[in-house]
Amino acid sequence: MAIADDELRGMIAVHQRMVFSIALRVTGDYATAEEVAQDVFLELYRSGERLVSEDHVRFWLRRVATHRAIDALRRKAIRPEDAAEEWIEEEHSDGEARGCDAGLQVRMEELLRTLPEPMRVAIVLRYQEEMMPDEIARLLGKSVASVKSHLHQGLTLLRRKAAVTMKEYVREPA
Amino acid sequence: MSVSQPEEQWSRFEEKLSDAMRRVDPPEGFAERVMARAQADDRPRARIVPFLRRARVWVSGAIAAALLAGVFVAEQMRLRQERERTELARQQFEAAMRITGETLQQARQQLQQAGVRVGTDGN
Repeated sequence: MAIADDELRGMIAVHQRMVFSIALRVTGDYATAEEVAQDVFLELYRSGERLVSEDHVRFWLRRVATHRAIDALRRKAIRPEDAAEEWIEEEHSDGEARGCDAGLQVRMEELLRTLPEPMRVAIVLRYQEEMMPDEIARLLGKSVASVKSHLHQGLTLLRRKAAVTMKEYVREPA
Repeated sequence: MSVSQPEEQWSRFEEKLSDAMRRVDPPEGFAERVMARAQADDRPRARIVPFLRRARVWVSGAIAAALLAGVFVAEQMRLRQERERTELARQQFEAAMRITGETLQQARQQLQQAGVRVGTDGN
């Protein structure tokens, strides 16, 4: 049996940022991310899943969002770095509003888009969703060792690239 | 950001990464668009579900009828083959009896022609 409209509305209100952010960071494309995020909630609505707890809902949404975003990335052969600009500007202004180092944040976002898909997915789930490697492994249906390896490789790659990017950044006049 | 403190930058790398990867808001009107799609989905689904239920009943009935018809036809074929075998056996028996009767008649006539009395009258 499908979930009720009110229930769906409530779930969207609570989880839309999570689902959209996963989709956006995995696909790197704003329009595709919205499409994926909408599809995730509609899949929940149609599936009639019996989600008994808030943890269950969150796990289900994270899992489906991640897999649908990976599917979209592969199907459309999106190169996330191509579509980065449109939402980097939004992030930049948001960052300033929060008093963060927006320039560094933008660099991080750019660097993330250059990572291979498995590493990017692991990094997104680890640092955006603050999930532990065993939780990520369960969500992706992979071994913990494989997830740890992707995290380690992804982080190493990010750090190497950041070393160059940060040098460029600090050379800029204040 | 200071150039003179790279060590501190490195130690804060993961922290910066987490900060850079905080969740973002979906575009304006996202929830409304999802709800509109969900409600648009409801109408066709309402029509499709009863149709599928009816179709399931019809399909089940058709399968049951086909099974019954199959059993009936198989039984009829078995009875027909049995009747044919019985008829063939009866015809073969009658032919055998006719041939036997004719042979006996010929033998009796030959014996009578040879002057041998045949005890057909009980003597």
